Amino acid sequence: MTKTAIDLPPKGGFSFDLCRRNAFLESQGAKMPKFRKTGTTIVGLVFKDGVILGADTRATEGEIVCDKNCEKIHYLAPNIYCCGAGTAADTENVTDMVSSQLELHRYATSRESRVVTALTMLKSHLFGYQGKVSAALVLGGVDVTGPHLHAVYPHGSTDTLPFATMGSGSLAAMAVFESRFKEGMTKEQGIEVVCAAICAGIFNDLGSGSNVDLCVITKGGKEYLRNYQQPNPRSYTHSKGYHFTTILSSKIRSLRNHVRVVEGDAMEEE
Amino acid sequence: MGDSQYSFSLTTFSPSGKLVQIEYALTAVSAGQTSLGIKASNGVVIATEKKLPSILVDENSVHKIQLLTPNIGVAYSGMGPDSRVLVRKSRKQAQQYKRLYNEPIPLSQLVRETAVVMQEFTQSGGVRPFGVSLLVAGFDDNGPQLYQVDPSGSYFSWKASAIGKNVSNAKTFLEKRYTDDMELEDAIHTAILTLKEGFEGQISGKNIEIGIVDASRKFRVLTPAEVDDYLAEVE
Repeated sequence: MTKTAIDLPPKGGFSFDLCRRNAFLESQGAKMPKFRKTGTTIVGLVFKDGVILGADTRATEGEIVCDKNCEKIHYLAPNIYCCGAGTAADTENVTDMVSSQLELHRYATSRESRVVTALTMLKSHLFGYQGKVSAALVLGGVDVTGPHLHAVYPHGSTDTLPFATMGSGSLAAMAVFESRFKEGMTKEQGIEVVCAAICAGIFNDLGSGSNVDLCVITKGGKEYLRNYQQPNPRSYTHSKGYHFTTILSSKIRSLRNHVRVVEGDAMEEE
Repeated sequence: MGDSQYSFSLTTFSPSGKLVQIEYALTAVSAGQTSLGIKASNGVVIATEKKLPSILVDENSVHKIQLLTPNIGVAYSGMGPDSRVLVRKSRKQAQQYKRLYNEPIPLSQLVRETAVVMQEFTQSGGVRPFGVSLLVAGFDDNGPQLYQVDPSGSYFSWKASAIGKNVSNAKTFLEKRYTDDMELEDAIHTAILTLKEGFEGQISGKNIEIGIVDASRKFRVLTPAEVDDYLAEVE
């Protein structure tokens, strides 16, 4: 019975088996598929009572905006959230996997998850795949040891910071943070600075756009503010809506005249 | 496990058609501390004795009733270490289900997967059956449910059940007291009374454990203080 084989731990890491084939196909002229990226501006900031995470909501596939209102702030634990930039599938699946692992860890330890635990799980996974998992994350949360904010890079390195930005709009957002960040801000001040940073990304970076999502995490709990700001409303739809005219004429033709119903045997099944 | 010398099953049929190892496993369960569960109209309660081998054991470190998912909990009778293996496997299976189907695992599915694991250990090389019976309680889209899983891998849904020592008395007591429209609070009182029936010594919040799940779908183990309150109500 196969189930009795020794349970080896999963090998993990990148499997290079198909790389030669892919390189050969590319040299023959085959086009590599474009994958959905979150061009993105994601930010995080530590304030007096906790952490604020912010993200834009545009997802791109090459030059096309494929989702005008996607969710980039992912759930990891009740007290830990993670913004994701890079390949959308990678960020979503990596955060999903680590969220599952954290839940199992919570059952085993009967304790609230810690941000460093999530951080270590993420970086080990990303390092194992040698940067092929294209996920750049801003991880933030509040646990028993206090508020924490980290930036995680696709190759597995991490930074621990009071404020962090990632994604194609990170320079625009960082410029705002560098000039306006102060230690020990209140929640309102923090939200204002985060919104300004994301908006800088939305308006100055082509890879970012649409709305601002926020997540405020404190010791008492979390506030997931989806579409907190919508600086890009659709202003071109018909304000009165669309309506159709009354019926001008109708013509009903009975199909019975054209279809002959014939009794017959049931179809033979081979 | 999996070694070529032990690729044959240790659980083999007797001439009378019984699997003796499973019978012995059930005996191990009957020697274990009593656990019981009652399904109410708006929730489920499971309770177990928590008799520690010595007064020197730190009772705060012992947790007999465990969480499998936010809305499913489990109690056992029999060998504690065996139950730990099953709890660990079930938790992982619940996570895998959630990642695959993006919905919390229904209780009947989780019970079935756990039962499958227990059955595998009765038909695999070099392993013995689990020496525990589990009482799995949860509240999902199909309402409150209570399942019992045996070492053979068979499982049943129960309105009320008891496992471990003193099972026949406990079941008779439950049969008399159970009503279909029982509410969770009544069920908790009945559970305590049933445990009290066969309890040796003074019952208190420190030597029994009670887990409940109600319509909020959050399974939780009552604190010793809460258990003492219920005990006082029952007096």
